Amino acid sequence: MSERMYPGMSPDERTTFAPYSAFDIPADLRQLHGRYDVASVAKRVRNFRYAEEWMMMIMGGWVATVPEVPVKTGIGKVIWEGAQAADEFGKRLPELRCGRKAVEASEASNDGFASFVQAVAEPETPDLTIEKLVGIFDVLKPHMVEIYETTMRETDQISDAPTIEILETVVRKTRRHIAWGQEVLDRLCDTEALRERRRARADELSERLAASGGVTGTLASDRGQLN
Amino acid sequence: MKRFIEPNELARDSRFIRQDNAMATVLASMPDDVDAIVAAFEQFSPMIEESVRGTAAEELFEAYGPAFTLVVLNEPLDPDSAAATMRLILRMHGIFVGELQALEGAARSLWDFPDAPWEFKMNMARQCWDEGRHVQIFEKLLEHLGGHVGMFPESTFLFEAACSDDPAMRVAGVNRGLEGLACDVFRDMIRYAEKTGDEVMQQAVDYVLADEITHVRFGSEWVKEFTKGDPEHLKKTQDFRREVDKQFSFGGSRSDREDAAIPIAWEDRKEAGFSEEELKDLAAVSAEGPSKETLTQAAQILRDRFHAKRSGEGAPS
Repeated sequence: MSERMYPGMSPDERTTFAPYSAFDIPADLRQLHGRYDVASVAKRVRNFRYAEEWMMMIMGGWVATVPEVPVKTGIGKVIWEGAQAADEFGKRLPELRCGRKAVEASEASNDGFASFVQAVAEPETPDLTIEKLVGIFDVLKPHMVEIYETTMRETDQISDAPTIEILETVVRKTRRHIAWGQEVLDRLCDTEALRERRRARADELSERLAASGGVTGTLASDRGQLN
Repeated sequence: MKRFIEPNELARDSRFIRQDNAMATVLASMPDDVDAIVAAFEQFSPMIEESVRGTAAEELFEAYGPAFTLVVLNEPLDPDSAAATMRLILRMHGIFVGELQALEGAARSLWDFPDAPWEFKMNMARQCWDEGRHVQIFEKLLEHLGGHVGMFPESTFLFEAACSDDPAMRVAGVNRGLEGLACDVFRDMIRYAEKTGDEVMQQAVDYVLADEITHVRFGSEWVKEFTKGDPEHLKKTQDFRREVDKQFSFGGSRSDREDAAIPIAWEDRKEAGFSEEELKDLAAVSAEGPSKETLTQAAQILRDRFHAKRSGEGAPS
């Protein structure tokens, strides 16, 4: 029989190409079914957008009240990349059956997390750069990376791949933000007393964050799942 | 953290010295009258002297007296003019602190207006990154010219003039007034760099100018959006921008007059969304200050009186 390029109407009219599964070339071990359904991922994305939007706004408020010029300029870039993250999360929402107007939908997981965010925003005067940066770069952003990575690992790898793609970029940039912020903090906290200030602020906020259940309100069960 | 801050709350490290903003207001409202200008500067002389003490501007004060700002602002920057490098560094320093305040203004818009539309926040966030880069660029250019941060006092009148608690007025002031002035100044700096063959400065400022055009465009679009369907609000916003423009014209030094030290960059402004009508209005508003001849005469009298006083002769009448 000559090589057949296109299938016909009967079994003997199949093409001559070898059969492959959608996962054979290259070998793909991903499996269907993740921990979250469409509605849960949509809620998570709204929660993520809330945190990114607020971090951006808070740092916007601080630029004028931190005296260190490199902190002002460095924060300028972190603000822009935070805005881009929030924007990408917003654009994902209509794809998750939230309606076309959902692109601007941010939602705190609960009142505890909203109040934690306000505690991060609290430091105001120019002598509090350490307290300001600790809230974002020692506590909230590392927490966000943890939850983003958990989400990437546990969501449906095939069906929810667009969310994973967004998170991959956001995680890469957030890791860079953390490295920058912590380097600045290391430099600013150059005495034991200042290092203690940094630790005290981080401990206080971390406790509040854990009590709220984190950005998605599910910190305890997320960590339980990991164990 | 509270919404809206005062200009004196802008945080600075120990290199910076503040200058009273009153002088900028005086410059913006000077009449075309030699005696009135001399009287105003003499009144502010102790304050001006205090603000330049210990900075590189002290040298200019000693040379020209309290009217040194008139000389600096009124004469076009020419590589062959006396003290051209010091004047260039003074201008560069002014731009550096202006960029710093523009960064702070854009960033505060994110915090001060939490309910603003998302696209507005995106534009302001982008502006934060851009202005942050501009601060870095002008710090490098200052060093490139032999200057350094803090060598001149900083006036916060840009932040004061432009930071309204109404978002439409804020963008009209910051993005159209302040950033529009930046277009004029940067075009002038590019011309200067071309004359001196300074390719580093020419290229860097050209990139910054491209960013500023984008920021003015943000302003043009958001003024329209925030005042849509409200002609009274639009008029108030335009009046506010006009006030800011007048203040940023430094008594006609930035204007469309033939003798202007900084000409209006018509083509760049058109690309940024200014209409022909708005530009004509700007030309009229900025030309309202005293003539160059008046300022030159006033500066000469002030310099003579200052030197006479310094040498113990008393002021010549």
